[in-house]
Amino acid sequence: MQRPLSRREMLGICKGGFGALAFTSMFGVLPFGCDRPKTSAADTDLYLGAHYMPKAKNIIFLYMDGGVSQVDSFDPKPRLAKENGQDPRKKFKVDATQFDNVGKILKSPWEFKQYGECGMPVSSLFPHIATCVDDIALIRSMTSNFPEHTNANYFLHTGSGIQGRPSMGSWMTYGLGSENRNIPGYVVLDGGLIPPGGLDNFKNGFLPASYQASILRAGAEPVANIKPLEKVNNLQEEKLQFIKQLDNSLIGKMGEADAVESAISNYELAYKMQSSIPELTEFKEESKATKKLYGFDSDDPHTRGYAAQCLLARRLVERGVRFIELTCPKVAADRWDQHSNLRDGHERNAHAVDQPIAGLLKDLKSRGMLEDTLVVWTGEFGRTPFAQGTDGRDHNPSAFSMWMAGAGVKGGTIFGKTDEYGYRVIENEVTIHDMHATIMHLMGINHEQLTFRFGGRDMRLTDVHGHVMKDILA
Amino acid sequence: MVFSQKRNIVIAIGFVCVLISSCGDNRQFSEPLPETVDFNFHIRPILVQNCYLCHGPDASGRKAELRLDTYEGATAALKEGGHAIVPGKPSKSQLIYRINHEAEDLVMPPPDSNYKLTEREKALLEKWIDQGAEWKPHWAFIKPETGIAPNNSNAIDSLIHMRLRQKGLSKTSKADKNTLIRRVSYLLTGLPPSPEDVKRFVADTSSDAYGSMVDRYLNSKGYGERWARHWMDLVRYAETKGHEFDYPIVGAYKYRDYLIRAFNEDVPYDQLLTEHLAGDLLEESRENKETGISESPLGTAFYVMGEGKHSPVDIKKEEADRIDNMIDVTSKTFQGLTVSCAKCHDHKFDPITAADYYAFYGIMESTRFTPIADVSMTTGQTAKQVQDLNRYMRKIVADSWSEKDLQEITASRESQRQNSPLDAPYTIIGDFRNSGFDRWLTNGLAFGERTTLGNPLVDRTSEKLLGLDKGRASSKTLGTGVFGSLQSPNFILDTDYIGIRARGANSTIRIIIDNFQLIQDPIYGELEQQINSKSWNNYVFDISPWKGHKAYIEILPGGYKGHHYNLPKDAFIEAQYAITYTSEWPVEMKQPIAKPVKKENWATLELSANLVNGLNQRLAEGKLPSEFPQLATALDSSYQLIKNIEGGSFFYGITDGFGINSPVFNRGDHNDLLEGDIPRRFLSALPLGDVPFTSKGSGRLELAETMLSEDNPLTARVMVNRIWHHLFGKGIVETVDNFGLQGKLPSHPELLDYLAITFQKEGWSIKKMVRSIVTSETFKRGTARNEELTNKDPNNIYLASFPVRRLEAEAIRDGVLAVSGSLDSTMYGPPVKTYLTEFMQGRGRPSQSGPMDGAGRRSIYQEVRRNFLEPMMVTFDRPIPFSTFGNRNVTNVPAQSLTLMNDPFIAQQAGIMAEKLLAQKELTFDQKIEWIYMRTFSRKPNPEEIRKAQQFISGLRKMESTETDTDNEILIWKDFCHSIFNLKEFIYLI
Repeated sequence: MQRPLSRREMLGICKGGFGALAFTSMFGVLPFGCDRPKTSAADTDLYLGAHYMPKAKNIIFLYMDGGVSQVDSFDPKPRLAKENGQDPRKKFKVDATQFDNVGKILKSPWEFKQYGECGMPVSSLFPHIATCVDDIALIRSMTSNFPEHTNANYFLHTGSGIQGRPSMGSWMTYGLGSENRNIPGYVVLDGGLIPPGGLDNFKNGFLPASYQASILRAGAEPVANIKPLEKVNNLQEEKLQFIKQLDNSLIGKMGEADAVESAISNYELAYKMQSSIPELTEFKEESKATKKLYGFDSDDPHTRGYAAQCLLARRLVERGVRFIELTCPKVAADRWDQHSNLRDGHERNAHAVDQPIAGLLKDLKSRGMLEDTLVVWTGEFGRTPFAQGTDGRDHNPSAFSMWMAGAGVKGGTIFGKTDEYGYRVIENEVTIHDMHATIMHLMGINHEQLTFRFGGRDMRLTDVHGHVMKDILA
Repeated sequence: MVFSQKRNIVIAIGFVCVLISSCGDNRQFSEPLPETVDFNFHIRPILVQNCYLCHGPDASGRKAELRLDTYEGATAALKEGGHAIVPGKPSKSQLIYRINHEAEDLVMPPPDSNYKLTEREKALLEKWIDQGAEWKPHWAFIKPETGIAPNNSNAIDSLIHMRLRQKGLSKTSKADKNTLIRRVSYLLTGLPPSPEDVKRFVADTSSDAYGSMVDRYLNSKGYGERWARHWMDLVRYAETKGHEFDYPIVGAYKYRDYLIRAFNEDVPYDQLLTEHLAGDLLEESRENKETGISESPLGTAFYVMGEGKHSPVDIKKEEADRIDNMIDVTSKTFQGLTVSCAKCHDHKFDPITAADYYAFYGIMESTRFTPIADVSMTTGQTAKQVQDLNRYMRKIVADSWSEKDLQEITASRESQRQNSPLDAPYTIIGDFRNSGFDRWLTNGLAFGERTTLGNPLVDRTSEKLLGLDKGRASSKTLGTGVFGSLQSPNFILDTDYIGIRARGANSTIRIIIDNFQLIQDPIYGELEQQINSKSWNNYVFDISPWKGHKAYIEILPGGYKGHHYNLPKDAFIEAQYAITYTSEWPVEMKQPIAKPVKKENWATLELSANLVNGLNQRLAEGKLPSEFPQLATALDSSYQLIKNIEGGSFFYGITDGFGINSPVFNRGDHNDLLEGDIPRRFLSALPLGDVPFTSKGSGRLELAETMLSEDNPLTARVMVNRIWHHLFGKGIVETVDNFGLQGKLPSHPELLDYLAITFQKEGWSIKKMVRSIVTSETFKRGTARNEELTNKDPNNIYLASFPVRRLEAEAIRDGVLAVSGSLDSTMYGPPVKTYLTEFMQGRGRPSQSGPMDGAGRRSIYQEVRRNFLEPMMVTFDRPIPFSTFGNRNVTNVPAQSLTLMNDPFIAQQAGIMAEKLLAQKELTFDQKIEWIYMRTFSRKPNPEEIRKAQQFISGLRKMESTETDTDNEILIWKDFCHSIFNLKEFIYLI
């Protein structure tokens, strides 16, 4: 009857030996700041670890909030130019759209050119990323289940369109832990725009709170409550010393001391974070050339802001942070959600992120870090090839483009195909579940085996779906 | 286990050659095999964990046509010969053969499933089959039984001791009085005891000191505030709808207040359950003792606490998701079952079928959402008096006519009717020109019992009867600004337009498609129109995009702004009829047919518009009497009564629609419906589960009655287990929301059954149950544990000592406020706005932040905005409100330490506490420390602690130095109090 851990709970936890070897520190054995379950007698009783040898150790997830237009970025469609201004309903079946304001077929305002040895076409929105195409595996056949931002965001982040499920970063840290004892394993760099659906996109859902994202913001206080309030030197240390003394004398008085003991050790970690987190955001040791590469000297303040986020992402990877997501900067024209003024809005958004992203890829590569860092670039859905009104594009969950670069990914590949309008996928559809399965695979996790019991079910990030996209793997 | 067909062929050949050593009794296990192997406690867990994925109740994933969830299935002949289980004969049971097999392609479970049986599990299976393979229904589906008389004051302790003896564990001694009062106070009220209460209790040496201390907390208002919050975790309580813009759930706080009152008044649990499921349908509502407002309908607000999406592209899917969440929360909360798992297929583990799910789906689909006005009992009576007066006036007039008058009129109008011209095609959805509402539903008071047809129209000065009113549905029966709505039956949209002839002020007509409420642009904006013209107009709705969807029409005074319902004082709406049509609005509506009407029933009977026209004609011709002096007096009284009716405020609740039976959605896909509708009913595996509901509406009241039937094995067990969980930090069944096959088995099944039966027999009193547990010896034990206990019962399942636990988020925050002396104990009312830090960004962010200290109010009164949850609450594990959470996580993350170390709120409270301390100038140093300890830890400091405090303070003195001495003292003691807040003794219950 007494069953501290069910067999199924142990599944996916005690698989393979990799985890045990790689993560012996307190925060490798268990995810950052996570209590050892009270049930385990010794430290080695429970660890989460990879199912097999991973290709990627860390992920940088570049979230293009609002939905980048595929036909204006990575999926050129000459037919749109030919049929510009014609009624799309006469050409193909048009699905219901969120704004129900279907205009004419709209050609891309941007030119496409081929780049790199692979000859991947990229539009003039992304001149810098275009120089990295040989490291990029492009997927043109993404689909989502939801045409509304909030649900699509939840779906992209948690594998379910409904609020309250654990996000992929939470699953990764639940599965793999963090390699750094002083920084959380799952970090969201808030560039200024929290996506529709709010912070729940980054929450732990039914997983323990230890697995939720820590939100880092630019500024003097990057994490909530990270700055000591004490104005006098060593005052906080003095107080913590006193606290520790009294806490320790408590342990002797009671049974079941483990929980209290870990709460005490938690203070040491919290104390260290007070210095390790702010240190991260100081770029003093970064060279001028590096900063320039990312776009620190750009005239566009949003480029400079995003450049700092990208550089910070690299610094987090260096410190072993498992999963880093960057949200978009708040440019004047809203997120990538151009229901009107496509040209202006997409150009502003692209300008803010293009150079920093290219800088990040190049910087990682030159440091040899791209080999075990996976960079993922995607929105929550695509946009319609026809106009909304006259100069915008509505949401399109039936086709969009995303790309991955780095660890375990075959650079210079193009996978999947859309129809001649870029409206629907016609070849090798890749679902969000497939994307999750692939990311997990690269991280050494079998997406079918990482489960957590909730509400009577063994829940997975990929629910009952998901296939690994073998074609884009190196 | 997977018995693949291919593998079975191999066995059939190899079977003869393999001998199986029967019974594993001679094998040694750390925990010896039980004398008698029990199916529920020993065998089923093995089967559920390892076999049911392929050999369980869900036929769709079943392998080799073998099911191991029923006796019949497990003992049936296998396709390839033999039987999986032959009772009494392990050696002939294929199951035993296969689990012991060494070949990778034969062993069960197959290696690639990642399941593996332990030697002990194998031995158990063998022994069980050897003993006859007795099958039993799942333990939780067997009605509770006990040999102990209800309310036996020793029952809890003797059942706990019995198990301790069996396990060879010795219990810990009783906790001291300081510990006990702190424990009781926190667990019953969520607040620390006041130093005065501690002193009084410690000094009280009478024999009932403990009992009366418990009663004091049970009867304090803080009790309801704590236990309501426990309940709110179950029903995903929130005050906004989340999604993109976080729209309000209006009046959610009234539900919170309802819970606090209900727990404080100890409303019996059967009543509480009924009010939740069907409080709107009760013939007699409970009333709020202070305000006189009807209380029972507030319970239904829990249905409405889910998420809401404002512009779903697939509106039917949105409904399916909403209903899924309602089913999930309802079934987990009240039955401890995960019915939602059967949405796409029969439950993988529990005997819950997809048909069961869609029987529930029908119940929810037949339920409509609506604002509900606070209506006091007196208002209800006033409305009735006004209606009585109306009936009286009509009777006075009617009494003056002869039978002959009426017959003549009826005959002449009948002949005229024949001549109506033909018209463009249309369908009448509702015609209010007769006296009835044409099968439409009314909610609230505004529309009264019938239309205006035949109401006497009296000239106030001459007091003469001018005529009889024409028929229309009117929200003015009690004057303007009174709440009510008129709703059509459901119909399937099959035309281009809906047309409604209406007039009014500040009012609204809405087309509700698939129960979708958050009507707005883009997509749905056209489904709602403001009615703001006092002359009659035709209001047209283009519904062509939604053909094939079900819909109903809602006509109501007032309207929505930002999804917030408002009812201005002058608001009213009246309607003549509603139609659907495709081409153009019909030129002239057919007149309703006059039926012969008997004079003596005139005041109450259905009237026809034709008859009223005839009467009016005769009145005008002077052929009927028109002098009725009593009418004016009656009318005056009516006006006087109406004046007293208050507009009231609102909450979002539910109302009954028309019964809809849902088909099964194939694999949960709302676009793929299977043949045949499932009648609304309870779960087929439980008592009365196969009896279809017969009510015309949703059947929610029948659902409540079925759950409360004496034979239901779950309702009482689930609730007493929740109470136990909140008091001991762990349920007798640890998975408090899941009593299904995947849930944990009860640690003390006899105790659970005894408590469940006592609960039922003792009138479902939650307070009595709490009291009986809290006054047990088991509850009063200390937390100290020796090595033996730690080794033998590391998880403290058998309760030899009281379990140590961290306080909940609310108790920590409220504790800080109470200890610093800044707690504002005001109860009830609109929530204190969320304090917004710069980390809380995104769409729907309120324009203004609330105060950092939450105005000193208890945490239960702080706003719960789905997209802007309070960081301190989330950090200390308050669940994210999306499903039922009967068992909170208890995590230990650095953010918790950082909150207590660096959060400005905590520091602020430390400062307030220091000022209060120093204001008592007469206190010596030792007394100061004692003052702090008594408030914070409910005990006096020991000499060692005073010594450490002295050292610490003198250290602080050296560090903190400001200009004036007073400031310095405050800073020093603030640092001290701040440190005290950070002690584990403060946030742990020991």
